[in-house]
Formats: sequence, C-alpha cells, structure tokens
Amino acid sequence: MSFFKRRKASTKHQSLYRKDAIQSYIMLAPMLIGFALFTIYPMFWLIQWSWFDYDGMSTPKFIGFENYIRAFTRDPHYWDSLENTFIIVIAKFILEIPLALFLAIVLNGNKKINSFFRTLFFSPTIVSTAIVGIVFFLMFEPFLGSVNQLLKAFGMIDTNVNWFGNKWLADLVIVIASVWKGFGINMIFFIMGLQNIPQDIYECADIDGVGKWSRFTKVTLPMLASTGKVVMMLFIVNSIKMSDLVLVLTNGQPGGSTEVVMSYTFKYFFSYGAADSISQYGYSSALAVITALVLTVIVSLYLRLTRNMGNHY
Amino acid sequence: MKKRQLLEAIPKYIFLSLLAALVIFPIFYVVVSSLKNTASILASSSFFPKTFSWDNYVRAWNLSNFKVYTWNSIYMCATIVLGTIVTSITSGYVFSRGRFMGKKPLLALITFSMFISAGSLFLYPQLNIAKALNLNNSLWGVIIIYIFGINVTNLYLAKGFIDGIPKEIDEAARVDGCSFFRIFWSIIFPLTKPLIATVGLLAFMNSWNDYLLPMVFTLGNPDKQPLVVGIVSMKSSGESVTSWDLMMAGTVMAVIPMLVVFISLNKYFVSGLTSGAVKG
Repeated sequence: MSFFKRRKASTKHQSLYRKDAIQSYIMLAPMLIGFALFTIYPMFWLIQWSWFDYDGMSTPKFIGFENYIRAFTRDPHYWDSLENTFIIVIAKFILEIPLALFLAIVLNGNKKINSFFRTLFFSPTIVSTAIVGIVFFLMFEPFLGSVNQLLKAFGMIDTNVNWFGNKWLADLVIVIASVWKGFGINMIFFIMGLQNIPQDIYECADIDGVGKWSRFTKVTLPMLASTGKVVMMLFIVNSIKMSDLVLVLTNGQPGGSTEVVMSYTFKYFFSYGAADSISQYGYSSALAVITALVLTVIVSLYLRLTRNMGNHY
Repeated sequence: MKKRQLLEAIPKYIFLSLLAALVIFPIFYVVVSSLKNTASILASSSFFPKTFSWDNYVRAWNLSNFKVYTWNSIYMCATIVLGTIVTSITSGYVFSRGRFMGKKPLLALITFSMFISAGSLFLYPQLNIAKALNLNNSLWGVIIIYIFGINVTNLYLAKGFIDGIPKEIDEAARVDGCSFFRIFWSIIFPLTKPLIATVGLLAFMNSWNDYLLPMVFTLGNPDKQPLVVGIVSMKSSGESVTSWDLMMAGTVMAVIPMLVVFISLNKYFVSGLTSGAVKG
C-alpha cells in the first residue's frame, strides 16, 4: 500500500516536472530563436562565406583559402589597422585606468561633494558613442572648432592646428574622446572594489606606521587586484571592438591611417562614406574571422597572464 | 589637525573642479554653440553667443528632418524598452527557477557567445536575416533584434535578482496549484520592480544611443532614421560646414533626454551598468 502511494506521488512529481520543463521551453522559445538567428547564425554565416568570393550580386565562387591568403599576404592595410588598434588601446589604457583609479581613491567615501563629483564624472558614460564622435569632431575642427580657438586665445598656438591632418594627432583626438567617454564607468568599478576592502586591514597598516604611498602600493593595490582584473578585461575587449567612434570621428582619415580593425573590416561589408567601393562579403567575412581569432587569442593570453592576480587573500 | 585637513582638501578640490570643467566642456560647448546663430558660428568671433537664439532648434525642427528623427527615436526606444523588460525578466526567471534539460549548457553557450561575438561585424548577416523576414529597411528589424536577441548583461541582471527572491514564495504558490508560468506572472514579476527599472533604463540608453545597427537598417532611408543616425548623416553628407548649426542643435536634442533621465534616476543607472557588467 505504501509502495503504491509513493509511486503515485513520484509520477505526479514527474509529470509536474515535465510540465515545468515544457513551460520553460515555451517561455524561452522566442529568445532562443532570436539568439539562434542573431548571434549563432551570423557566426556560421561569416565562417561559411569566408571561403567564397562573394559580392552579393554575382554567384558566389568557392575559393578555399584564397581570402585568408589575401589577408595575410596582400593586405597590409588590415595589419596597419590592427597595429593602430593596439596603439589606441595602449594609449587609452595608460590614460584611462590610472585616472579612473586615482579618482576612485580620491572620491571614495560618502561625503555629499564626493558623490556630486562621482555623478559628474560618470555622466559622459551615458552619451551615445556616435554623438561623442560628432562632438569631438566639432570641437577639434581646424577652422571653426573651439579647441583651436581657445588655444589661440591663450596664446599657445599661432596658427590653427590641423588635428585631423596627420595620423598621430588624429589618433590623439580619438584617444581623448574615448577616454572622456570611458573613464567614468571604470572609476565606479574601482570604487566598488575599494568598498569591498575590509577596513581593519587599513587599521593594521596604521598601527604598523605604514606611510601613505606604501599603504597604497602594499595594501590598496593588491586588494583591488580581483576588481582590476575584471575591469581591465572589459576594457581590453571593448576597446578592441571600438568601431563607431572611429567611423564617426575620423572615418579613417587621413588616408585610412586612423582606421581600427573593426572599422576597417566594417567597410568591406558596408561602403561607409564612399559610394564607389563594391562590398566584398567573402573577403570581409575572412577578415571578421581573423579579427575574432585575434580577439580570442588576446583574451585567453590575458586570462593566462592574470591567472594568479587577485589570489592574495 | 582640522586646519591641516582643510589645507590638504583645498588642492584636491581645486584639482577635481578643474577636471570637472574639462569633462563638462564638450557638452557645454555644444549647448552654447547651438544657441548661436549660423553667422556667428561661421565667423567664430567669440565663444559665447552675443544674443541667444532658438533659431537653430526651430529650423532643425521645421525645415530639417528632425521632427521625423525624434519621433522615430521615441517609438523605437519605447517599443524596445517594453519588449526588453518582458523578455529579459522572463528569461532571467526561466534560467533562475526552471528545471529543464540543457539549462546549464544553454546558459554557458549564451555567456560564451558574449566573448566571441564580433560586435559590428555581425551586422551584415543580421541584416541578411532581416531581409529574409522582410524586416530590413525599417526600424522594426532593430526592435526585433534588440528584444529577442539575448542581451547577456540583462539576462544576468535578471537572473541574479530573481535568484535573490526566496524560493519559499514559489513553493507556497505551488502548493496552491499554480503552474510554473502562473508563478512567474502573478508572483515573481510583480516583485521585480527595481529590476524592471534597471533593465528598462539600460534598454533605453542602449537603444537611444545606438548608431551602427539602426544606421545599417535605414541606409538610404532618411525618413526612418532615429536621431543619432540622422545627426551623423549630416556630418558625412559633404555639406557639413553649412549644417553645423543644425548638428549642434541635433546633438543637444539627442543628449539632453539621456542626461535628464540619468540625473533623475542616477541610482538605477550606476547599479545597473556596474552590476550587470561585472557579473556578466
């Protein structure tokens, strides 16, 4: 009798479980279809077409490794754009991460004035990247832009600087614009990390008579390591993926020298700002695959190098 | 002691104020310039306008396409915000409470996809799909991609929040005979108000600010473009010098709504942006 009862209960349980599972699938179905269509499918699409010569109109032709060979041997511009991406990411890193960390340490605490500055420094984060591009383009415009006007007014330059006239100045403008947009969120990340540091460590350090600087290097920095690891990871991935800022701000000018890897590849898909170029979907897919691989290599290298970071406690 | 602290604080706040001035400057500059008339922008005579004029805004609104751009932005964002709230919280609930085969690998796959997704390079295949579904050439493609393409940040935000709701609540409802979906709809969903605020704000920010996706879907179709796309297209239209005034006014129109929302709902913004990113 008792055996029978238990069995009945468990089938009831099972049918409930099955009902739950079916409802789960139904509730999730629209999103799973969306995920399959807009994330998984594009991935396979790119991998597939990277083996073809395909411009969207004529019949695609299978050409094996030809697109990859072209990228590796006959397309120095791609590698220039990759190099430029690294230049921008490194320059941005040197400016942005220390600035964010410094502000986090200075503004950590519950004083009203600190939270005012925090809000203010965070505000560029919510401005559209494309709009940031427009604003900095207008500001640095050689003839009408306010930067040249102000520099002249203060007597720091005599003639207008053509900010978009050479690679280094244009890169500098890109870096400034992107630091302006990005440092606020990293500051907030660091503040969150700081607030997770137990206060008694600092009390111990005070008792030991540790100076301000070594308090920072020996206590704060190691305790922030695990936050820093995540922050830098997000920073690297997002900076390498930078595309719309460059497209809007310089569009690769002068002469394609400020192109970054994403904007360069993007232009093989969509003839951005140039009407005469023919899209080459096969080749651009190959470039996209190479870029994705480069990104994967960098991320796994980063994870490997920082494996032991943040294991201090 | 008090005096020394004060002396230390003064240079600190002077430095912070200088930095704050630098940070504010770009926005300030655009707002001020948008109030100049065209002639004084082009003559670049002085930084501040001699007379404030709303002329640029009136012209942008009436003569240029800005009325259409603004409306497009508004309906696109409103739809995306509503839809994303529903889909994100639903998938968060299913991944938090559901018991079904393949839950763990599915979640792992979605998380992993965030790292390999090549961002803007997916746009062309996405456009192709939209073409097959007859959704290209309008903002509905953008809306569908936003709502149904899984946003990993939102998913983790929602899952984390719902993980924090005590399971006893579900069990009580279960005893009363509620189904899995009923529990979600009548019990869990009403409990997620802070989550709705955060997810909604993030969706608003991302869709209002997005450029490349709506640009690709409205290529050569100015009547369907949202604000950001419309403004940028003025820059590349070749006559950018003559449309500076309109670009300034448009930029202010694109930035101010975000800033207003941000200042009034600051708390949700910061928590949403940070917790989502770190967990994801």
